[in-house]
Amino acid sequence: MWELLARSLEASTIFLFAALGELISQRAGVLNVGLEGLMLFGGTAAFITAQTTSSYPLGLLAGLAIGGFLGLAHGFFCITLRGDQVVSGMGLWILSFGLTTYLGNPYTGPLGLERVPRFFGLSPFYPLGVMLVATAWFLLFRTSHGLAIRSVGENPGAAEASGIPVAVIRYLCVTSGGILAGLSGATYTLSYNPVWNYNFLMGWGFVSLALVFFSMWNPWILLAGASLFGIMWQLSLSPELVLPGVLSRYVWRTVPFAITIPILCVISTPWFRTRWGLAKPEALGRPYAKE
Amino acid sequence: MKLGRYELTLEPRPALPPFHAVLTAVVAILLALAFSSVLFLSAETNIFTAYRAVFSYAFFNSHGLLATVHRSIFLLFCTYAFLVPLRAGLWNIGLPGQVYAGGLAGFAVPFVLGAPQVRALPPDLLIVLMMVAAATAGAAVGGFAGVLRARFQVNEILVTMMLNSIIFWLVAYMIKEGGPFMSATGEGESFGLPVPLHAPLLLGVPFTALLALGAAVLLDPLFAKTALGYRIRAFGESPAAARYGGIIPMALSLVVFLLGGAFAGLAGYHYFAAVPGVYKIPGNYGYYGDLGFYGIICALIARGSSLGAVPIVVLFAGLSLGARFAQGELRLPFGVDYALLGLLMITFVASHVLYRFRFAWRRIPPEALPHVSAELPQE
Repeated sequence: MWELLARSLEASTIFLFAALGELISQRAGVLNVGLEGLMLFGGTAAFITAQTTSSYPLGLLAGLAIGGFLGLAHGFFCITLRGDQVVSGMGLWILSFGLTTYLGNPYTGPLGLERVPRFFGLSPFYPLGVMLVATAWFLLFRTSHGLAIRSVGENPGAAEASGIPVAVIRYLCVTSGGILAGLSGATYTLSYNPVWNYNFLMGWGFVSLALVFFSMWNPWILLAGASLFGIMWQLSLSPELVLPGVLSRYVWRTVPFAITIPILCVISTPWFRTRWGLAKPEALGRPYAKE
Repeated sequence: MKLGRYELTLEPRPALPPFHAVLTAVVAILLALAFSSVLFLSAETNIFTAYRAVFSYAFFNSHGLLATVHRSIFLLFCTYAFLVPLRAGLWNIGLPGQVYAGGLAGFAVPFVLGAPQVRALPPDLLIVLMMVAAATAGAAVGGFAGVLRARFQVNEILVTMMLNSIIFWLVAYMIKEGGPFMSATGEGESFGLPVPLHAPLLLGVPFTALLALGAAVLLDPLFAKTALGYRIRAFGESPAAARYGGIIPMALSLVVFLLGGAFAGLAGYHYFAAVPGVYKIPGNYGYYGDLGFYGIICALIARGSSLGAVPIVVLFAGLSLGARFAQGELRLPFGVDYALLGLLMITFVASHVLYRFRFAWRRIPPEALPHVSAELPQE
């Protein structure tokens, strides 16, 4: 039972890292729907580097770097060129989906390194995730930098007028969001499931994106949501632990995705929005042009 | 950006002449091909040999050409499945899910009727039934996302993506490990269609080609000349303004997603039930779902024009097929077709900037430049 829980918590860190990065980026008003692509690329880069150099730290670094670079590219398109954020995000996703399939294919198979050390069966990434959530919360809601980030996401015009460099803040947030997405991908390929396969994520990134909306842009709620989805995901992979022999295992695989849809509907209702959803950054998805 | 006496800026442009639009599309495609030659290079193959292998298989080989045509029909349906909602400003990335749903529904017709009924009923009727079922299933899956979008403002990208995963696993359930559609002989694929239910061929090409080409011809006038097309375009330009103009967002989102989903359902019918030599849902059905993403690129590069999408679709169908062939022939790593998909997407995103902006290069008037003293400093 503890093993299953530890595994679920590890799964939830993958959701958590990616979603936390997206949360920071969305707080600054930039939507990145290509989250899954950043995770795929980061994970693949981490896997290939770790395998060729036999070093986990180098692999992790490669994952972070690629994630950060793609985040920066998204920022360049959305902030400097003021392009459509959905077009750019979708572009990054399909780019990563296509290129990682090609680049990673010769490496298909297990990583072949000793597993990442665990403490009582728990991956070291989970405490890191909790620490990052606390840091992100403190940064966003208890410091002047956080106020600057949030104001850029709410009303960039007013922020600029009060002397906040909107473009710089947005770049920083999008890039750190990308780095976290890379970390998430690296956690998957280095620790959670160190076997490379084409399109290994199969929807993790999009679930993470949905989690950001569920969290009402609050890191602590995000942590709860990610943990819940981690447990649900792990159970959907091994349903025989709870309900042996009921339904095909393939049907269980649909459950996390199927649950996402009604939750999305509920949080999108006007009732919910006026009651709870006011946290949505006002300028989310809108390019900002300096007067 | 300032360079001495000159200034380089990005300026938005109000409208783009059609010639420039075509030119940018061509440049984007050529750039993607140039980037993919880097991939061929890295695989230590002569670029020209590689491209010759790709094109000669796809377009100058009777077997390859026929495969290109089959794939083009599939991609045309996928392109229209994405294109119709796009004109209303909505992103239908649920193509794989809708394709699978179409395939499943098509196969459900002979499955539900049972072998005796299938033998008794006229095959033409059954084929029409299968096609209608496929289109309806695709439309239902698409329409679901459309309703949620309109009723609750739920992000359609997330919903369609979730539906993709759900239906992907449902297909696995249906055709694998003793699922209802599993073939009696092979593990992991569906039963084969009985011979009378194979779609009729015209010159070796399934009749679905007529539907795809009909859509290519009809969709452009639909957008340009009809009231529905006007509503879709108006909604795409500005949903708020469209609502004040009396357009009902709920109905409109539903209509575009129903129509788009139906096209994707037909794509599923075409590939699984009409392409000669397939006539089943194969174990690698996921590959056909992935191929559906080419539809997104084709619709985007064609800038929403259904007729304009045809040459692009044929080119990409040929390229993706030829790339698969070349990778076997020249022993390239797997996934050249996927890599091309990714590169095309990113060159499209880059060219998107050129649609909306142009680089302006102008001289800064001398009085605007900071004054620099021309005199030598005095003692």
